Amino acid sequence: MPGEKLKAPFAGLVYGQIIYWGVMIGSLIVMFGSIVAFITRDNYVPVSYWLSSVWRGDSPSKIWQGITGSLPMGHWYFSHLTTGDGLSALGISLAVFSVVPALFLSSAVLFKEGDRLYGSLALVCGIIVLTGVLGLIPIG
Amino acid sequence: MEHAGSSSAVTEKMREDDKRMVREKKRGRFGRLVTSVPELTILIMLLIGGYIVMAVFSKVQGTQVLDPFSMWLIIVGSFLISTAIAIIAVIAGIGGGVIFTPIMLGFTTMDSLVIRATGLVVAMFGGLISSGPFMKSRLANLRIVFFCGVPISIGALAGSVCAIYLHSALGLVGDGLVRLSLGVLMLVIAYFLFTGGGKTEYPEPELIDPLSVKLGLKGSYWEGSLGKVVDYQLVKALPGALIFIFLGFIGGFFGMGGGAFLTATLNLVMMAPVKIAAACSGVLLAISDATAIWTYITYGALIAILAAPWMLGHVVGGILGAHLLIRIRAGFVRKILIFILILSSVKLIARGVEGAFGIHIPILG
Repeated sequence: MPGEKLKAPFAGLVYGQIIYWGVMIGSLIVMFGSIVAFITRDNYVPVSYWLSSVWRGDSPSKIWQGITGSLPMGHWYFSHLTTGDGLSALGISLAVFSVVPALFLSSAVLFKEGDRLYGSLALVCGIIVLTGVLGLIPIG
Repeated sequence: MEHAGSSSAVTEKMREDDKRMVREKKRGRFGRLVTSVPELTILIMLLIGGYIVMAVFSKVQGTQVLDPFSMWLIIVGSFLISTAIAIIAVIAGIGGGVIFTPIMLGFTTMDSLVIRATGLVVAMFGGLISSGPFMKSRLANLRIVFFCGVPISIGALAGSVCAIYLHSALGLVGDGLVRLSLGVLMLVIAYFLFTGGGKTEYPEPELIDPLSVKLGLKGSYWEGSLGKVVDYQLVKALPGALIFIFLGFIGGFFGMGGGAFLTATLNLVMMAPVKIAAACSGVLLAISDATAIWTYITYGALIAILAAPWMLGHVVGGILGAHLLIRIRAGFVRKILIFILILSSVKLIARGVEGAFGIHIPILG
């Protein structure tokens, strides 16, 4: 890679590598979940229901009304980790979540290197993403 | 004798170098990619095997809407289209959502919130997976990413929450007006990029503001097409940050990421070289969309079975795109970017006019 002729900052490498491998692991879980969803009947909700509802144009509230009667308003897949669709949702969430440890660890490296300004900015970024993960802002 | 011996050793070395070059040439760019990124090869093989297993041993039952084979086709087709979109998107420095969301909103009957949630997956994963290679190659500048990351993630979180709130309140008219203005804005950016010529590839700021200097928003990278190290200094840190709040909001609200705007802002306003702007916007997209998507996930708008192939396609396409971007000239990236901006804006304007004024435009299909 030509760009490697200049040394990349360690905090950047930490950030990039955590996300890269987090996404890779998440992808494997998503793939495994999709296979389980298709070749077994171990699903929280049948694949045919998910895809048909979406294809028909049902809104999320209508789709979930047919499952639990109301919107999940949380991380529904945590209680269905042995199912195909639950695993697929977990894989996507895990891959997206990899941004949080990447930001926090990158921030720690920057603080250690004495770059307090950018260490703080990375930390603030991580806290904002975590706010979204924890659903701290009410959404109706 | 000694001279002859040394000469023969040099000739031998040159022959070996020639042979190595021939071998490299035979393997080609993708051959080198297979050996340098083995995890990509493993993932692709697993995906091919997985989709075959899903077709052969499927226990999915048909419904009145879809038969089992159609469901499998939706999954595999989504994966293939997603891979293609990801390669174009990463090279152009935009999120795939700019391509995915307008097309899905225009040509399918799927609910807009489901499309926007899947659109965020599409917009995000190309950037997520390419963060590693971009950081390693110094194309993504950590300082630019963390400085712009704070305003864009605040905007993205606010945008996603508003999207849920306004899904029922604003209706089609409000949605149409926002799309229309967004489409016009994208055309303006495409025009500036088109007329900017070589000036935007390696912009040289005339006036550098003290805040940008104090923040140290500068860097250097190896420009392979020029064969030298390029230094750059960003400007207009404060206006840039304010624009990023707005862009984060747009991305979170529409589920489009808005990568084209991010690249344009970094390149045209903050004066980053276009390659740096494209790489940083990919990483920034990942941060902003990773903030926004949780609102959609917890609300239940992200349908994992549908989003899975789009995610996997973007992981594969994102790696391919990131490795290609490092080798492609900056001007080529800009041309792709302009083309995609114009295509997206036509789509957005058409949808906006229809939504806001009820005028049916035939190109919507």
